Amino acid sequence: MAVSLVRLRALFAIFAIACLLLAGRLAYWQTIGRGELLGQATDQTRSDLVLAAQRGVVRDRSGAILATTVELRSLYAIPRRIADRGAAAAALAPILGQSAEAIRAALDSGAEWLYLRRRLPEDVARRIAALRIEGLGFENEPKRLYPNGALGAHVLGFVNDDGQGQYGVEGRYDPILRGVDGRLVVERDPANRELAIGLRIATDPRRGQDLVLTLDLAVQTAVERELAAAIARERATSGSAIVLDPRDGAILALASWPPYDPARVATADAEALRDRAVSWAYEPGSTMKAITIAAALDKRVVTPQTTYDDKGFAIIGGRRLGNALGRAYGPTTVTQILERSANAGAVFVASRLGADDLYAYLRAFGFGERTGVDVAAEASGSLRPLAEWYPVDLGTVAFGQGLSVTPLQLAAAYAAIANGGTLYRPYVVASRRDADGEHRTAPAPVRRVISSDTAATVRRMLVSTVDNGIANGAALKGYSVAGKTGTAQIPSEDGRYVDDAYISSFAGFVPAEDPRMVVVIVLERPQSKLLGTVTAMDAFRGIAIDALRYARVPPDRP
Amino acid sequence: MRSFVSVSVAIGAAFALVLLYLSLATAVSAAGYEAQRLAAERAELRRQNALLEIESARLASPARIETAAAALGLRRAAKVTVVPAEAFAAVR
Repeated sequence: MAVSLVRLRALFAIFAIACLLLAGRLAYWQTIGRGELLGQATDQTRSDLVLAAQRGVVRDRSGAILATTVELRSLYAIPRRIADRGAAAAALAPILGQSAEAIRAALDSGAEWLYLRRRLPEDVARRIAALRIEGLGFENEPKRLYPNGALGAHVLGFVNDDGQGQYGVEGRYDPILRGVDGRLVVERDPANRELAIGLRIATDPRRGQDLVLTLDLAVQTAVERELAAAIARERATSGSAIVLDPRDGAILALASWPPYDPARVATADAEALRDRAVSWAYEPGSTMKAITIAAALDKRVVTPQTTYDDKGFAIIGGRRLGNALGRAYGPTTVTQILERSANAGAVFVASRLGADDLYAYLRAFGFGERTGVDVAAEASGSLRPLAEWYPVDLGTVAFGQGLSVTPLQLAAAYAAIANGGTLYRPYVVASRRDADGEHRTAPAPVRRVISSDTAATVRRMLVSTVDNGIANGAALKGYSVAGKTGTAQIPSEDGRYVDDAYISSFAGFVPAEDPRMVVVIVLERPQSKLLGTVTAMDAFRGIAIDALRYARVPPDRP
Repeated sequence: MRSFVSVSVAIGAAFALVLLYLSLATAVSAAGYEAQRLAAERAELRRQNALLEIESARLASPARIETAAAALGLRRAAKVTVVPAEAFAAVR
């Protein structure tokens, strides 16, 4: 009996100690270890999600969608939940366009969870969903889509895999297009459903602003078609085309060659990403003669009838600068300098004007500095400071050598002549829309460059260049056209010019009496060499006819 | 006896209150799940709508229409006749 009492006491002591240990442990978890336990419990029930902001939609001036973001379904797999991986792979293969072996290998890779294909087209996702295979699932992921394919790609730019806008409007307006992400903290049940009576902390995402561009899809289509045809015909290495509204600087269309598809940027050639209308500069050649003559007329050092004797060349700074093919024209008026594209005549006009004034006018027309257009990566071109000019530069710059311009700068300068003398900042975003409503972009006149009388005179001279001169290939039935061709040599790395390679261009506007659009076409290294301007003028006509019909501009000639 | 009744009523009331609370909590949870389901449905419909808008934009693309027209053998009009409105105004 005594033994039993001892045993009982021992048992009691053990229980007492166990109770004390348990109580101590309980006290620990309720006090010191409480935070850790609470954290573990919270992690099991609470989710903290970033709510991605919807990127803004980009539309053309008529409201057609150019770029938008949609949620596409990505297919994932949890291999251990798939009963028959071989059968699943065989069923998926024809739908995904992938071999069953490759899919099976992915499923057998040992991964707990893996993507089989991301951002599927909706019809493919539906077909897979209809298979109802246990262990396969979908997760929505945002994707930037461009319903017009490569059309307008250089203006639009693209969005990379990290969701950052690159190049074009996507790059330039990325901060306002992307919006602000939100946050959602909620408690969830074991089925991962939000608990209505649980914790809920939500900060709504603020969607990105929508943009309406000045671009016109119909005009853009015509521009890309004509540029592609000109490039193909000339087997040119690259090219660009711009259509600008001279009344306010709005860019109606802008195309660059080689093209790229914004949906397949990863496989695009790096050179194709460059917008050659905005981010590339070249020596413009004879299209600059109109600018030189506009400056001289505005400075009143010549008139359209001022005459000089053209010997086929001019000597300036001890250098002999000749006309194309060395042709001598004899007595030639300033108007005929444009009609014949006489280099010697441009040197004559520049000599009357002087280097100081020529330089000042070139700067006023916007050469040598960025136009300020609202797309990413604009080039400034090159116009050396006057202090660095050699005497011969006065002559060469007069006909477009020794300086470089972007096609957009040239279009803006011609727009100034077309609209009566005011240089406008070109722009592509007509308005942006946010929660407060629509914010329109006001046209931005930069400065008056030449008087309205001078502009009218140059317009008439450029019309004569098309009607009677070298740019006759740009003439349109029913419309007055003003314009000038340009054939420029290509500088090489050793400071000389590349033999037998040219850049052909045409800059013009229509209807010349009341200009509605300025068009600039540039073709690099056309195979027909000096005749590349003929193709450029053909492209101009193709664009102008379509754009005038589309805009319902009535003919101004019988 | 009186105290027994009072205690019974108190227990009954407490039970009813608990039942009421539980039914309300259940109803709120059910409504929460329903709201979540409807929100997911709304999101899916919006997604489908966005996809349809994209498809509509793709079909309306002038480049696609131009290609389709060419495939049908349609050609661009060589000339568009413009009739000046002044001529009609003069007649009327």
